[in-house]
Amino acid sequence: MNSTIPRTRDLKLTAAWPARVFPNHEWVLLLVLFFEIVVFSIAGDNFFTAANAFEITRLSVEVGLLALALTFVIITGGIDLSVGSMMGLVAVVLGALWRDAHLPIAVAAGIALLLGLAGGALNGSLIARFNLPPLIVTLATFSLFRGVAEGITRGIENYSSFPSGFLFLGQGYIGGIFPAQLILLLLAIAGCAWVLHRTAFGRSLYAIGHAPDGARYAGIDVGRKLFFVYLFSGLAASVSAVIYVAHLGQAKSDAGTGFELMAIAAVVLGGTSIFGGRGSILGTVLGLFAIVVLQNGLRLSGQPAELAGILTGALLLLTVALNRIALFGPSVRTEETSEELDVKNSQVAILSAVILLAALLVAGSNWLLVRSLKQNGSPVVPVASSVSEKKLTVAMMPKAKGDPYFASCRKGAEEAARELNVDLLWDGPTDLDPAKQNEVVEAWITKGVDVIAVSVENQAGISTVLRKARDKGIKVITWDADSEKDARDFLINQATPQGIGYTLSDEAARMMNGKGEFAIVTASLSAANQNEWIKNIRERLAEKYPDLKLVTIQPSEGDRDRAFSETQTILKVYPNVKVIMAIAAPAVPGAAEAVKQAGRTDVKVTGLSLPNMNKPYVKTGVVESVVLWNTVDLGYLTVQAAYALGSGTLKRGDSALKAGRLGTVQVVNDEVRLGAPFIFNKDNIDRFDF
Amino acid sequence: MQAFVDRYKRELSAALAYAVLVIVVGIVTPSFLGAGNLRDLAMNNAAVLLVAIGMTTVIVSGEIDISVGSQFAVCTYLTGALAKEGMPIVLVLPCVVIAGVAMGAVGGALVAWLRMPSIVVTLALMVAWRDGLRWATEGAWIQDLPANFQWVGLGQTKGELILVGITALVFVAFAWALSNISGGRSFYAVGSDAEAARLAGIDPRRVVFSAFAITGALVGLAAVLNATRFSIVPSNAGMGLELKAIAAVVVGGTAITGGRGRLAGTLIGVALLGTIGTALTFLGINPFWEKAIQGAVILAAVMSDVALGRMAAWRISNFGLRARTGT
Repeated sequence: MNSTIPRTRDLKLTAAWPARVFPNHEWVLLLVLFFEIVVFSIAGDNFFTAANAFEITRLSVEVGLLALALTFVIITGGIDLSVGSMMGLVAVVLGALWRDAHLPIAVAAGIALLLGLAGGALNGSLIARFNLPPLIVTLATFSLFRGVAEGITRGIENYSSFPSGFLFLGQGYIGGIFPAQLILLLLAIAGCAWVLHRTAFGRSLYAIGHAPDGARYAGIDVGRKLFFVYLFSGLAASVSAVIYVAHLGQAKSDAGTGFELMAIAAVVLGGTSIFGGRGSILGTVLGLFAIVVLQNGLRLSGQPAELAGILTGALLLLTVALNRIALFGPSVRTEETSEELDVKNSQVAILSAVILLAALLVAGSNWLLVRSLKQNGSPVVPVASSVSEKKLTVAMMPKAKGDPYFASCRKGAEEAARELNVDLLWDGPTDLDPAKQNEVVEAWITKGVDVIAVSVENQAGISTVLRKARDKGIKVITWDADSEKDARDFLINQATPQGIGYTLSDEAARMMNGKGEFAIVTASLSAANQNEWIKNIRERLAEKYPDLKLVTIQPSEGDRDRAFSETQTILKVYPNVKVIMAIAAPAVPGAAEAVKQAGRTDVKVTGLSLPNMNKPYVKTGVVESVVLWNTVDLGYLTVQAAYALGSGTLKRGDSALKAGRLGTVQVVNDEVRLGAPFIFNKDNIDRFDF
Repeated sequence: MQAFVDRYKRELSAALAYAVLVIVVGIVTPSFLGAGNLRDLAMNNAAVLLVAIGMTTVIVSGEIDISVGSQFAVCTYLTGALAKEGMPIVLVLPCVVIAGVAMGAVGGALVAWLRMPSIVVTLALMVAWRDGLRWATEGAWIQDLPANFQWVGLGQTKGELILVGITALVFVAFAWALSNISGGRSFYAVGSDAEAARLAGIDPRRVVFSAFAITGALVGLAAVLNATRFSIVPSNAGMGLELKAIAAVVVGGTAITGGRGRLAGTLIGVALLGTIGTALTFLGINPFWEKAIQGAVILAAVMSDVALGRMAAWRISNFGLRARTGT
């Protein structure tokens, strides 16, 4: 309650220039940023180049716009958790208006912006007019906006092939190097800084954040100002969504997932107090870049993405802790007495500690990087020194690193990398995230790898970047899931969606003797692969098994426990279901456990999953069969093909590829074929370990 | 009667919504009220309830903890790792609970003694715990657990009884403690006005710290109980658990600004939000709308404040604004 007393520091316009320019010790961040740049210039490949600098800023535009708006919100003592979900809603409405309502793209974008304003107005009126806590209101609309986006698209709709003039906004370069959307961010930064720091409106937000009652007594219309702040937040989210769509070339209901947390982190890192009343646009911009540069730098140095999360968390805790100590003194009770803020010496000491700690943090990561560089740099055993001119670098990306399916692919990839003596970079989003995939590919282009191999989450989204990579002479392979055909050299095809859909349908039909009801438990409702398979399953049913009836499709969100409870409900609501078909790796054991616990020996489970996590269920007969290919071999073949392509032994028109322990593999046009989907059952499952 | 309604009006509005939901779905599809379904609902929401009990103490103290989902993932994985090492489950339980306390204590210490904002601290920890776990496990699940891991080797029926029994016991103990012993009341005192609490001889720092530590312990307990329902341990458990728990607490009438709320309300909140998804399937409504409906329910719950009395709502949230800027 004590921070409601205005700090003299904030009010004194005659203070010394460091306090005026950096009222919240933003210069600490400047130091952190400087350290990051120095470290990554040494440790990262091609980090310190103009092209990379522009690439970093391009990637930070969407989150940056959200962070600017959230600076206003947080300075008033509020919060807006709904901005990421708002992006999803605006993106799909934009797509629907353009494609289905045949509106010109500019008109569609205009209406989409109005929708953002409406969403902001909903938040604003609930918060300002009904005095409801912002955290709750926006927690509710966080769920509501995303839910409506999923509802109107049924999770499936993916709007793409937007006109190129529109895509320029997100992908184009002005003058060949300057990213188009960066201008918008710069204008937004300037505009926000002016409004917040140079207008009466901006000052009144600080007053509201310090003490809403005091602001009211001082004649400020608190409700009205708060309303505008949330309105602006909705607008920023919709602008951000339009840029996101132009950037990725696709609009889907999952746009902007998790962006709110990154934006809040940037704002808070920038010294804005989450309690309100303190903060600056400069701080937010520095906070944003401290995070983005860290992520980009780690990627260019070949470090795993998880490290960025851990370091960002640590950086956040550190700066907030030190900000706290520096402002209020180390003890709570001195708060009242430190009002004069005449503790110059101790402040200097504390701020020195800040720098020292920040330096330690960076030095720590530096040490880690240099160590790993040394490991990478010196080959342990030169296998064939006479032949190897330069070691090939193959960068390989899964859809989601946290998924056991891709963890098993990695095993095979590393095996092949050891055999062929290539440098293998394995990185990607931790969860399904198409925007992150683009970022990683951009970083790899900058880093200058030889071959990029991507398991594509989103075709339209990633193809532009992959084409860019090919233009720069990098060989591009897609594996597991394809991009647009002209964006890559080869596809490593483990099985077509048709092959999977048909095999699954055939398995279900076999178990049910061609007749009866079955249900599907999918990943998330907007998962592209799963929706493609479901389409093929329906086709197969219509064509060959008219007596098979698909009664319901329920989501598992890739969560075993959710698949478990959804299956329990399916068994009760549709008692005639004879087969549960789970088409996400974690969903099969979840569904199997539910069937087992319900004691329904008449119901069988099948689906697409890994053998290991289903062994107990396959052996007891709950799971009749699991359909998949050998994922270890898929990873192995991908690196083999990448090596062949990178060293020039694999070319278009070849009909076969020698792939190490896999022997000779068939090549058809631009596809390397792993083979047909494999059916794991009681008899053969023990032979596999992944 | 009027006094009762006044006293419990927030809980009553959530209870009313829940009753309407159950009755409507029960009439349309009577099997919804079958023993099997009710048992499954109880089992699937027990872990959420345990976490939400901890979250209630944190929110009543005027703070928030959004790292519980990541803590849950770490605790779940730890449960599997220890059991796989051959440690009997009676020893695994205290070990994991201690790990939970430790993780809660990290957040609690930063919030209580460094007076850092809890939403920022737990945001950072949420990312750090989960990414740390991913880094360590690379997404691998724990398989081939000892045969007596599932249901603690007691079989499904007894195992379910134990799970529900422990959850009920914890609930009753906390409900009693929060309203009847001074330690429980001190959460309310600190959440209402930390300075007044301090002048009354309560150390707000210790109270806030213990709220986080207790939540960590309950997360650990929930993780062990939930993990033993299965025979395999995943590495990505508890996704979105923090939002489920916070939403349940808030829907149950606890003020997000601290100082007010009851566990009875939290129970109703967990039941209401935990039932909606299942109810939609029973009603044959498309699951695509589930998130939208959940959001609408949360909004309706907070809006009921306004409907139940503008005056009271004004007083409360006005206080809340001050509390947000101050403590």
